[in-house]
Amino acid sequence: MGLMLLINSSYCLATISGRTIQSGSSSFHSEQTTSALTTQSISSQRRSGMTSKTFSPLTTHVLNTADGVPGAHMALSLHRLDPHMVLWNLLTIGTTDKDGRCSELITREAFTAGMYKIRFETGQYWETLGQTCFYPYVEIVFTIIDQDQTFHLPLLLSRFSYSTYRGS
Amino acid sequence: MSVRLQHIKHHIFAANQCAEMTTPLLSPLTTHVLNTGRGIPAANMNLSLYLLDATSPSWNLLRTGATNDDGRCPGLITREAFIPGVYKMRFETGQYWEALGETCFYPHVEIVFTIIDASQKFHIPLLLSRFSYSTYRGS
Repeated sequence: MGLMLLINSSYCLATISGRTIQSGSSSFHSEQTTSALTTQSISSQRRSGMTSKTFSPLTTHVLNTADGVPGAHMALSLHRLDPHMVLWNLLTIGTTDKDGRCSELITREAFTAGMYKIRFETGQYWETLGQTCFYPYVEIVFTIIDQDQTFHLPLLLSRFSYSTYRGS
Repeated sequence: MSVRLQHIKHHIFAANQCAEMTTPLLSPLTTHVLNTGRGIPAANMNLSLYLLDATSPSWNLLRTGATNDDGRCPGLITREAFIPGVYKMRFETGQYWEALGETCFYPHVEIVFTIIDASQKFHIPLLLSRFSYSTYRGS
């Protein structure tokens, strides 16, 4: 597990661009990390005063299908591909809330057309439940053509399977 | 298309498709890609297999190939090469759907998995539509 954290930190050092995303009245700041991914609870940011006009056009919902519960407190990150540099820019890091949701990943303004990736720290999640997972992490790469739509990307996960789809 | 041209086309596709290894030993790692949007095997989908080099860290490309007419890719790796570690299978899903004249929400799918006991067999299917996919450890 320490190995995967090392890989995570190397990855973050290579791609974090230090940009700040404004999201309503709260802001998410991506900072360089020297060890494991730091996590922020997005649900706590939301409670601190997001207005109803600033819902993220991109949402996710993690479900632990093995135990029949939400995938709560799972670390995740959102990245956008920089097509010129051909590398991934880290946009947001966060953690699912107790309902397995992470509803404020990005603002409508920042959500431009392009290729995105959501990375879920599934190995870490199952380890805190005292179990192993076949998948150390899950990355879902998707293409956004029409940024005016909303995109709900659930992740249904067990120790030996996962699925995802475009929901609503 | 004439029969002769059909034969030639088949040879060209087959040259890229995964084929059984010459030894009678089967790969300990197998996959099966199904197009759940159309209810057919996903044939001629390009894929690649990587092993994580933990010291760099970076991904070492082990194998490229394409699924056969049944959506399978026999001969992915030999028993000797299949050591414990973190592997990645990458499926060129966007390219696959584009060849069918459609778009796909997922330009590619990468499945990263950990092998602890390399003496076991691992069957990793991919069930894919234009807007969904799933995978699991099968048998």
